[in-house]
Amino acid sequence: MTVRLETKATVDASFRTKLLVAMMLVVSVVAVSTLIFTQRRLAARVRADLEREFQVELSALHALQEFRDAALAERCRILASKPRIHAALEDGALDLLYPSARDELRGIMELEDGTVLEPGNLRARFYRFLDGKGGVIAPAGSSGSGRLDVKEESNLALPRLPDSPQTGFILRGRGSPSETVDEIIAMPIISTENGEAISAIVLGFTPPALGGAGTGIEDGIWTEGRLVLPTLPRQVREGVAAEMGRTLASSSSDHGGFEFRYSGSPYLLFFKRLNPGSLFPVAYQVSVHPLEEALSRQRQLIWEFSGAGLLAIIAAFLISQFMARRLSEPVERLVVDSKESREHLMKAEAALETTSLELQRSARFSADASHQLKTPVTVLRAGLEELLAGETLSPEAREEASRLVHQTFRLASVIEDLLLLSRMDAGRLKIQFNRLNLSSLLGGLLDDLSAMPDALGLSVESEIPPELWITGEKRYAEIILQNLLENARKYNRAGGMVRIVALQDGEWAVVTIGNTGPAIPKESQEAIFERFHRGAVGENVPGNGIGLNLARELARIHGGELRLGRSDGAWTEFTLRLRMADAASGAP
Amino acid sequence: MAVGALGQCVVEGRVALPKALHTPVMNKRYGIVAYGGVLAPYPPVAVVYLEGAFPGAAPRAKATMAQKDLNFVPVLLPVQVGTRVEFPNLDDTYHNIFSYSPAKRFDLGRYRRDELPVPSEVFDVPGMVTVRCDIHEHMRAIILVLDTPYFVLSDAEGRYRLEGLPSGHHRLKVWLDSRTTRERPVELIPAAVLNADFP
Repeated sequence: MTVRLETKATVDASFRTKLLVAMMLVVSVVAVSTLIFTQRRLAARVRADLEREFQVELSALHALQEFRDAALAERCRILASKPRIHAALEDGALDLLYPSARDELRGIMELEDGTVLEPGNLRARFYRFLDGKGGVIAPAGSSGSGRLDVKEESNLALPRLPDSPQTGFILRGRGSPSETVDEIIAMPIISTENGEAISAIVLGFTPPALGGAGTGIEDGIWTEGRLVLPTLPRQVREGVAAEMGRTLASSSSDHGGFEFRYSGSPYLLFFKRLNPGSLFPVAYQVSVHPLEEALSRQRQLIWEFSGAGLLAIIAAFLISQFMARRLSEPVERLVVDSKESREHLMKAEAALETTSLELQRSARFSADASHQLKTPVTVLRAGLEELLAGETLSPEAREEASRLVHQTFRLASVIEDLLLLSRMDAGRLKIQFNRLNLSSLLGGLLDDLSAMPDALGLSVESEIPPELWITGEKRYAEIILQNLLENARKYNRAGGMVRIVALQDGEWAVVTIGNTGPAIPKESQEAIFERFHRGAVGENVPGNGIGLNLARELARIHGGELRLGRSDGAWTEFTLRLRMADAASGAP
Repeated sequence: MAVGALGQCVVEGRVALPKALHTPVMNKRYGIVAYGGVLAPYPPVAVVYLEGAFPGAAPRAKATMAQKDLNFVPVLLPVQVGTRVEFPNLDDTYHNIFSYSPAKRFDLGRYRRDELPVPSEVFDVPGMVTVRCDIHEHMRAIILVLDTPYFVLSDAEGRYRLEGLPSGHHRLKVWLDSRTTRERPVELIPAAVLNADFP
């Protein structure tokens, strides 16, 4: 008993542990993947937000640029239509170009009194004219056209005169600590003589504020391989400029971004081309965003998430424990039950085997016995009949011998029945199913019955329809009916009655054989069908206790049944049900 | 060069004027039109002149190029070198006559109708002078400064007649626009009328 309990406990524990581990595994995987997914999304979102910010900023810048360009274009259009400018360009008086322009551009240029204006204002810092080939027309003397060094001035030249305004950016004071960048716009001047561009005016402006705007985000401009971003230390600036050069060389896109680290902190950089399609060298708006804050925010969030995740896992662990217990209970019970039932089954199987063996043995025994018995009976009868045929016997002896002959018939009949039973028990009895006319079968048997010597003075009644076809083998069907009729006759009172009724009940043929026999006690009503049972009332009645058993077995083999319908002293009635031929046509 | 009696010879003929090319409508009322980088008078008219040095031929005292109805009148003015040209303002608005042409750079500044003395300029270098108004960008005129006293404007059909010319071999030239000048040699005989056409 203790051994079994231990086994049960082990089984329970291993199953519950497995269930728990599986549940925990699922919960952990879900929790961890949710965390990872959330973290990824968060990072992507931060980047997307920054990029959107950059785009918004850029489009604001773009709007400002457009506004300025439009204002400038109008001014330049007026300027380009000025008779003096035209006269200077068309009448070959280039020496008068800058002096003429000086007056005309007075409203555009920065004040010369040194007033410092806001970045991004509409005042030009310098201007130059381009000749018919795009080269710069150098201003003569102090023309008020703004100072540029030779290199800067040459950067204003274009490969050809443009048809439309062109935007560009030039470095001022390249390499110096005060390196900065100016935005330039080239407006074509169209000749009134031939409608073609004869010149262009290039105006230089301070671009919108560079550097930080207090938000931590820093804006700059990249052009000519240099990054102008005053708030970024020079070394970092140069490194980033080189990185940008590499990025631009490897991709043809006019915008993009990358991450870089500077003194241990991560930064995100976006860039977008400022002057797409321009004849001037490419320039990019650059925006540098420190990621430190975003990352620390992310880290904090991850910690919070992790804490929440841990709590969730603990909760899941407890729930899993509970669930595992709940779920494993019925399974454990099932295990125990199946164990018990297996034991039962094994016992039953063993018992069955024993029974089967015993049965076989007994079947074989009765078969052997029948065979062994049959021969001596025949020999006995033959001897007796020989005696009877002789003349030597006294009348008393003759009567005795005649009774003995009769007994040999009974003996033979018993042996016959036993043989049949033993064959049935061994499962060797096979019925040949045929269509049988139950009516004519009963008719014949009733004839035999009435022909028998009748000591009791019985009256026989029958109610049989002319055609009642059943399925079965005639020999055995006859035995059933014969046995029942025999019993009805034997176990009867003097002057009693036997009544046979046959009828069809659906797919069954029902034969009721009743008589006025004594009552069978309730407690032995089932026992009368057992082998070798004989009713208590029939001590003086010939019989061997096999008849009813045989009849019932045969009825079952035919797919039918035999029952005791009623037995109350006044009337005893047996009901036999056999399959109708038509209804059983499909049956064996 | 044979020097003949002055004022004896006459040359006349007809210049095939360029077709009045399609000009932008906005330029139609103006005298000088620009087309394909060429300045030309509109409607077309030619200046016919006899080239050569004619010592002793003193220039006319003065010529006039007025501003009237926001335009120059005339729009094409041939003058002999050394001529003073007056630019009276006949409009009720300011004008500012100037030129950046190599032959003559000048700037008369802004002045009104009653400006006295009438602003003027002496043209002492031969060549084409584009005259503009700094206030009215459409206003443009040409003063053709010629180194000869013998010149005449053709009529609208291109007919011309030059009288009182010296006899002898000369080159007769026709100015059609800022890029086109045609010429042919002429033999002038006193008391004879030479017919010289420019087909």
